Amino acid sequence: MDVIFQFIGSVLGMTGTYAVLLGGLGTYLLLPHRHGAIRPRAAHGAGLIAVAVGLLIYMTYWRPPGLFLPAVFLYIFGAPSLIGAVLTITSRDPVASALWFASVVLSTAGLFLLAEAPFLAAGTIIVYAGAVIVTFLFVIMLAQMEGKADYDRAARSPGWATLTSFIILWCLLATIATLKTGETIGTGIHHLARNRMEPEKQLLRSRDLDAYIGSPDATMTSVVRRAVSPMSQIANLRPAEGEAAANPDAPSVMVHRPNVAGIAASMYTDHLASVAIAGALLFVALVGAVAITNPRMPVRPSSSDPAQSAAIGSIRP
Amino acid sequence: MPPTDIFTLEVLRDYLLIGAALFALGILGFLSRRNLIVMFLSAEMMLQGVALTLVGFGRYHGNWTGQILTIMILTVAACEASIALALIVILYNRRSSLDVTLWQDIREAGVPATPASLITEEAEPVDAAPGPESYPHLTPAGVEPAHPVEPWIERRS
Amino acid sequence: MELAYEPGFFVRNAWLIPFFPLLGALVTAIGARRLRGAAHLPVWAGIGLAFLVSLGTLASADHSAKYTVFEWLSAGNLEVPFQVRVDGLSTMMLSMVTFVSGLVAIFAAGYMHGDPSYPRFFALIGLFVTSMTGLVLSNNYLLTYVFWEGVGACSYLLIGFWYSRPSAAAAAMKAFLVNRVGDFGFAIAIFWLWSVSPGHDLSYDSIFAAAESGAIPTSAIAGISLLLFWGATAKSAQIPLYTWLPDAMEGPTPVSALIHAATMVTAGVYLLARSMPMVAMAPGVQALIAATGCATALLAAAIALTQNDLKRVMAYSTVSQLGYMFMALGSGVGDVAQLAVVAAMFHLFTHAFFKALLFLASGSVMHAMGDVIDMRRFRGLRHRLPITYLTFAVGALALAAFPPLSGFFSKDEVLGAISGAIHASESYSWVYQIVYWTALVTAFMTAFYTGRAFFMTFHGPEKLPSPNDPEAPPADAHAHAHAHDEGHHHEIGHESPPIMAIPLMILAGCTVLIGLICLVAWPITGGPAEWFAGHLEKTLGFEALGHGEHGFSWFTATLGTLLGVGGIALAYVMYAEPGPLPARMKERFGALYRASLNKFYVDEFYDATIVATVRISASISDFVDTYVVDRLITGIALIPRAIGRARLALYQNGLIQFYAASSALCVAFLLLFLVLLGLQRP
Repeated sequence: MDVIFQFIGSVLGMTGTYAVLLGGLGTYLLLPHRHGAIRPRAAHGAGLIAVAVGLLIYMTYWRPPGLFLPAVFLYIFGAPSLIGAVLTITSRDPVASALWFASVVLSTAGLFLLAEAPFLAAGTIIVYAGAVIVTFLFVIMLAQMEGKADYDRAARSPGWATLTSFIILWCLLATIATLKTGETIGTGIHHLARNRMEPEKQLLRSRDLDAYIGSPDATMTSVVRRAVSPMSQIANLRPAEGEAAANPDAPSVMVHRPNVAGIAASMYTDHLASVAIAGALLFVALVGAVAITNPRMPVRPSSSDPAQSAAIGSIRP
Repeated sequence: MPPTDIFTLEVLRDYLLIGAALFALGILGFLSRRNLIVMFLSAEMMLQGVALTLVGFGRYHGNWTGQILTIMILTVAACEASIALALIVILYNRRSSLDVTLWQDIREAGVPATPASLITEEAEPVDAAPGPESYPHLTPAGVEPAHPVEPWIERRS
Repeated sequence: MELAYEPGFFVRNAWLIPFFPLLGALVTAIGARRLRGAAHLPVWAGIGLAFLVSLGTLASADHSAKYTVFEWLSAGNLEVPFQVRVDGLSTMMLSMVTFVSGLVAIFAAGYMHGDPSYPRFFALIGLFVTSMTGLVLSNNYLLTYVFWEGVGACSYLLIGFWYSRPSAAAAAMKAFLVNRVGDFGFAIAIFWLWSVSPGHDLSYDSIFAAAESGAIPTSAIAGISLLLFWGATAKSAQIPLYTWLPDAMEGPTPVSALIHAATMVTAGVYLLARSMPMVAMAPGVQALIAATGCATALLAAAIALTQNDLKRVMAYSTVSQLGYMFMALGSGVGDVAQLAVVAAMFHLFTHAFFKALLFLASGSVMHAMGDVIDMRRFRGLRHRLPITYLTFAVGALALAAFPPLSGFFSKDEVLGAISGAIHASESYSWVYQIVYWTALVTAFMTAFYTGRAFFMTFHGPEKLPSPNDPEAPPADAHAHAHAHDEGHHHEIGHESPPIMAIPLMILAGCTVLIGLICLVAWPITGGPAEWFAGHLEKTLGFEALGHGEHGFSWFTATLGTLLGVGGIALAYVMYAEPGPLPARMKERFGALYRASLNKFYVDEFYDATIVATVRISASISDFVDTYVVDRLITGIALIPRAIGRARLALYQNGLIQFYAASSALCVAFLLLFLVLLGLQRP
């Protein structure tokens, strides 16, 4: 019994649990389906409030970087991405869904920028927001000319689906939240988990391997380095210019490589095979898409009259 | 003395949390929405969550692998989108609907089909705007428009 | 270490003897479509080459001549090399087998001409010779058993060669099943040998050495000898397992000649002769062997007296002559052990020639008569078939032990061995006494039925088979004409072509020649069969057998000759010209005649006892299988089926989202479980 109580205490002691509960409830209310006696507007309003509160609690877990500007931009990009995600899946109109998804993509691209991945940010915007979303919109326009369809107003077993996805979210949250360094945050499960896992030792930066494992020449170090760190690095550690000769203990500085050049170097050295395979995949997908969208009417073996099959083909392409 | 890096473990955790939330919401959309297009949007959203996680990890570890894998994800997502949209167009041509529930032919022989009406009963009532429906009146192309005396009166009707 | 021994050229290459016919068979089988009517050529070449190598090995024969060709089987402490033994016994058998088989193969090329399955026949013949020569060559009981089974399988395939005929299929199955009964005994004998032999070595030399030195207990020797004899009774058609041999004539006549003369039936005799150094240590088993052989000889001769089918007479005479060989083997006690083995093998040797001759001559008659073989439907063929007539006469005289043909000398050797055993045996003397006199009676009967078949076929007024013959069974002609339907129709009553006649003449020449050799060698070596015995002495373990003094017994020879002449004379009186005598005899001894004609109801007895029992137990098993086991299994299968239909199938509703949601929910709970487990662990 103690164990169970300990569980419940640990789970309830985590603020994230309330964030997940509120978010799940709100999303459930927002999903398109019949709400019984409750009027749709009231349900949607309550759902929006619940999601907002849940999101705020969720954001308490975020620890923005120390500098002011990156911290502000983390919230500026992070919060809209989640709001956009909720609205993407709850919108009745697929056009609205697509546009909200575009906002998610844009926010994510901003986060990429914060993580010093400008090329990827640009690429994501161009590919997703530019190409994929527009194609989606084309298809939507092509396929759905009348107003809101039945099936857009009726989610499939929303309760079960919400339960499933938010259980997964809670599990991920509980796992990620225990990854922490330095000072303790909160009580409950955290200290138990931290004592056991010491996650900061498991998540080791590859460039710190030498300091952590031993001398750079050790066999173990070189093997682990080969496994963990690819040939190309974002930044190389070098003593500051001019100070190396004078003072060996001077703090080293990180020398960044240009982003596009670094990605290209890594792509064509460490991941060459992947690039080739991805190219082949793209080609196959192109051929497949063309083959699917230009269906020729198959001549069935049973129909002896080619004219008849041709007639059928002209009626139903 | 290890160099300072603003991308600390806490920042990585932010990325992981946002990625996890996107992933979970993507699952929810995929499981609950019946519109084929929204289902695929949800799947793309799951991919976005994973991409975020990968970029964060790559940045934290200080190598390019996360970004490279994200580029691979972009590639696969593009392929998936092209095939999926092609399929959606075909399916729409067959049934004139984007409802995924209409496609249940792979069920076990002898199991009755789930009727679409059953799900339609659960549908939210259309939140109709008050007042009569109105449409914009567009001018036919290639014909000189009529010149009404009081255009604002006609348009209101 | 053994004595340093350098194997000679022919010893090292003796494995070619089974290999050449195998190669020929393979070439024939693979190139069947291309070869067609020339399918006999590879097999001829194979057997011919094997014969040449066999002749070479005759000179190299030695007690200890053996050669390991390759390591064949190595499992745990069981080591079975593919090892050949080239001694007196095996070289004699090899030469005889390859020679007679070669002649039969030549004859068959004429006999089987035009058969649709011509290549298959020759491929099987090649395989048959391979199995038999391998059996003879191998220096290991297990390897012998492998080829023993090969002989059994080939005989099954050859007897059932015309498998579309129900009688042939039944005969093939009968032969196979009866042989299985015997193989069972042989297999158990091998298991027993394996358990008692030192070092689990199954090769002949080590086993005989162990038996001689007393490493194998006497009871085990007796038991193993009994089991080996059990195995031999099936292959060599002795009571109680002889019934398959007369039915085996359903195969083509050359096959009958091969089985009866050269290959199959000699395997059992060979096995016992090979094991003689061990079997001779069990006098009780020896007496049993002699008694069984004696009973078989008498019974088969009595049946042969009244049969109307020429080939069937020959078949029963084979059984009877095999009985003689077993009598001789069984007489191998004490001082006369070596003498007895030599007598048995000498009779086997001569019998192979004249019985092959008789069978091929019968086949020639059958060929000429349009596949009619019933002796009541033809007579007086001596003018139409002169070559067949003469060669048949030689064979018949040899079978009737008429001096100075080969059969006379060998039968005399057998009788001499038995009479020697009367004196040599200590506690079973009375058995050999009975055996001796029964053998003499059987000799008379042999002469009579041989003469009867000969005179009924070739003497008297000429008569050819016709469908109007009252003796002709209604469907007989059609059934037997099956083999020659294929666009090839020949006139009735013509002598066979040279390809069939030449082997007959060669075999007849050999029969006479062996007799002549005996006559010429008699004064030089001091006995009619000493030349043969001298070669056979160079056999593994035979030097240890007792060398009894053997003088030519004028009493036995005279008595045997008188009985033979008497039998022939009686047959001449009764059957040379159609007369009332046979009918009168038939009436006088009605019950005996009918019993003999119906083969003493042995088959019926087996049907009523063994076969019926097996059938009943098979029906019971079938019933249990169908109604208990099957029902049980299908019943158990109904449970998941019902559960699936009622509950689980509903979840296969075809909704993709339902599937995705189910698996995602399961993943979610699994994840939850893992996270909570991780939290719980201290």
